[in-house]
Amino acid sequence: MLGYAVRRSVVALGLVWVVATLVFLVIHLIPGDPAELLLSQGGFAPDPAAVAELRTQLGLDRPLPVQYGSYIGGLLHGDLGHSLLDEHPVAEEIALRLPRTLELIAAAALLAVVFGLPLGTLAALRAGGPADRALSVLAGVSMSVPVFVVGTLVVLVFAQKLRWVSAGGFTPFSRDPLEHLALLAMPAATIALGLAAVVFRMTRSSILEVLGRDYVRTAMAKGVAPLRIVVHHVIRNALIPVVTVLALHLGTLLGGTVLVEYVFNWPGLSGYLVNAVEARDYPEVMGIVLVISVLFVLLNLAVDLLYALLDPRVRHA
Amino acid sequence: MERRDLHRLAVPLAVVGGIVALAAAAPLLPLADPVHIEVSARLTPPSEGHWLGQDEYGRDVLSRAIWGARASLAVSFLAAAIAGIAGTALGLLGGYFRGVVEILTVRSAEAVLCFPPLLLALLVVTLLGPGAGTLIVALSILYAPSYARVAYAETLAARNLDYVVAQEALGARSGRILLRTVLPNVAPPLLVQFSLTVASAMVLESGLSFLGLGVVPPEPSWGLMIRGARSTMDQAPWLLLWPCLALTGTIVALNMLCDALRDVLDPRGRTVSANPFRAFVSGLLPATEPAPAPPALLRVDGLHLAIGHGPGALPAVRDVSLAVAPGETLAVVGESGSGKTLTGLAILGLLPPVVRVTGGRILYTGRDGTTVDLARLGEPALRRLRGDELSMVFQDPSASLNPVHRVGDQVAETIRAHRDLSAAEARRRAVALLDRVGLPDAARRARAYPHELSGGQRQRAVIAAAIANGPRLLIADEPTTALDVTIQAQILELMAGLKAQAGGMGLIFVTHNLAVVSEIADRVVVMYVGEVVEEGPVAEVFGSPRHPYTAALVASVPEGDDDRLSAIPGVVPPLHDLPAGCRFAPRCGLAEPACTAGAPALESLGGGRSTRCRRWREVA
Repeated sequence: MLGYAVRRSVVALGLVWVVATLVFLVIHLIPGDPAELLLSQGGFAPDPAAVAELRTQLGLDRPLPVQYGSYIGGLLHGDLGHSLLDEHPVAEEIALRLPRTLELIAAAALLAVVFGLPLGTLAALRAGGPADRALSVLAGVSMSVPVFVVGTLVVLVFAQKLRWVSAGGFTPFSRDPLEHLALLAMPAATIALGLAAVVFRMTRSSILEVLGRDYVRTAMAKGVAPLRIVVHHVIRNALIPVVTVLALHLGTLLGGTVLVEYVFNWPGLSGYLVNAVEARDYPEVMGIVLVISVLFVLLNLAVDLLYALLDPRVRHA
Repeated sequence: MERRDLHRLAVPLAVVGGIVALAAAAPLLPLADPVHIEVSARLTPPSEGHWLGQDEYGRDVLSRAIWGARASLAVSFLAAAIAGIAGTALGLLGGYFRGVVEILTVRSAEAVLCFPPLLLALLVVTLLGPGAGTLIVALSILYAPSYARVAYAETLAARNLDYVVAQEALGARSGRILLRTVLPNVAPPLLVQFSLTVASAMVLESGLSFLGLGVVPPEPSWGLMIRGARSTMDQAPWLLLWPCLALTGTIVALNMLCDALRDVLDPRGRTVSANPFRAFVSGLLPATEPAPAPPALLRVDGLHLAIGHGPGALPAVRDVSLAVAPGETLAVVGESGSGKTLTGLAILGLLPPVVRVTGGRILYTGRDGTTVDLARLGEPALRRLRGDELSMVFQDPSASLNPVHRVGDQVAETIRAHRDLSAAEARRRAVALLDRVGLPDAARRARAYPHELSGGQRQRAVIAAAIANGPRLLIADEPTTALDVTIQAQILELMAGLKAQAGGMGLIFVTHNLAVVSEIADRVVVMYVGEVVEEGPVAEVFGSPRHPYTAALVASVPEGDDDRLSAIPGVVPPLHDLPAGCRFAPRCGLAEPACTAGAPALESLGGGRSTRCRRWREVA
């Protein structure tokens, strides 16, 4: 198990380097000069002198390998560069906002598992029955509604009409824990709706498949009690694909909270990213993309390790 | 494609088709100008001229919704198509040339998957600025890798097909063969992928437009309409309704289409997996009837099993009777489809849910001396017997063991299901059992996972679990079929040895291997398409068969240096088309007109022998 963990970690580390390099190359190798692009907003040809000055300021006039070296060197020191607009260090702003986004995702994942897993198991054990049919239709619809539609409607109903909660915003946990959680509930539930549907569908089909396996019949032939068969033999085997799919979706959420954070005014990483994209603030965009992608890689690593924990066969692969 | 398939596709296809047609026809419809601003009519509720009302700039909402569909659909379809063509091409190239080309195509495309999708789209927007064109580029880059993967996998698979390899060995250019082989194979998964891509591109497109980073105003798009309506939500909430409904409805329809396509194109996914558990939790049959003439151990009386319900039900097992005495080994022999396995499963009440007992009894006399009819016993009572008094060993030991639990724990589980023991004590007994079934270094092997054992060792572990509680009856369903020949002999030896030790344990050995039968069994029951055709002591039945089918089976076993092998002519008739009269008559050399006229009954010949042949005296 330890050897497997080390091997996977080395691969993940390599991937982090690949991601960092890709982010660098995307900005530097595609046609068009970032400095020129940055200054040419509004359709006017930018002043060549201003472009040259910005190039020097950004270090774009240096040879590419030198730029790459200083970029990677900066990364190793936790330096993600400074905002073009206000010189604010990118790493500092990310450190402030990232925990909020992670909290949102964690809360949504928790809700999705708490609802999706038991309901999926129930639907599989009652496959073809009315409860299964109703839940499957519900899941199909929940999965299809875009998050920003759910979010907007949630704000309309619960904040505007019923006035149960305020329309969005953020209060630090240290200042008012209750209000913090109340403000977390709406965006987390919005993300959780679609995610729970994914967990539900995956759990259902996975459990149905495992129920048909020979070892379930063997367990029955041993006279093992039904509840123990479900808990001990079925769920653990059925969980393996569910964990994978859930983790993949959590990975997409790392960037996908953009819409929800926007709708609910949640001051996470995504709002920062949208502003940076609108302003074409390259250092900011590169820093955020890099951090999220690295998290994405680390999440996949965590899944691989969890997978090995659940399925002893993987450890030897 | 079957009619049922078309039926499943019809509804989602019609909805999606309708939306596409409406969007395509937008310029022809008598709609108001979607970008015409009329500030005085700001936020007007639905009226005669404007069926869905007017938005925050007084623009016609209906017109904007339909024109918005155009933008959303055009972006998503175009992006899906570009991604599909580019991705498939990359996958084909990578799979065909391998090596450096593979790295340049498939592997580099997969680098895209290192980034969360929305993030990558935002990166592209940063570089190119917002707009429909940017969206198409971003979405194409995003989705091409999935196509590349599918095409790559199929190309690799096709490359290894025997005839492609053969053609290559002959020096033929395999590029064309490959294209002809691969494209038809990848078409179905790519079609599913395409509809998935369209749906998910639509979600992303509307999301980006909603953020103001997608379609540029004043062009209408559903995402932009929701963005606009959101700002006036407290004054005109109904404006939010239409674009939300249109967007969600379209995506629901697209997802339904995906599901239907997947089901139709991938029949593997459609079969509702045989789920014995449902029968397991709900299989309560009518109460026990008083049993006549209790058997010493087990007697199956006139058992009928049917697959399915109603008039289409197939009579898989008909009028099967057999008996096992304590300490006796009964072999049940027959080809695949003879009903021998189903009969075994019926005794333990483990029939798959599609199979029902339609007649007969399975009388069993238990340890406490009472006789029950297993075919009518409730599930809780059956469960108390299973693994304790009645046990079963299945054909494939690697599938019978749960891959995620240690072997020793799986043996201990049988004990703890029936005995009130501590976990440590059960584990200690499990090790002793594994030692008894001849697993070397049992204490260490008990902690191993199934995949760490060899096939023979796994079957030993399965047997250990089956005999853990000293069962009175053990049913072994082809326990050696999945094993190597040398291992087969060892397992047979083990089972014979265990039986000798256990004394009173009865054994039903289900197999198609006659050599195994003569080695292990006292008596044999020969089955053919769901009926018993001959029964008796092994030596007598094989020495002088009294049914032409048994005779043919015996003749088909190669013996000594006589390597002439007579195959049985003809084929086993399917259950839905059984011959009238004697089921074996169409393949029988002795058949006469009377044989096909009426079904022969099982005739007792004395000395424990019986046959289902009218002309048994003439069987050589």
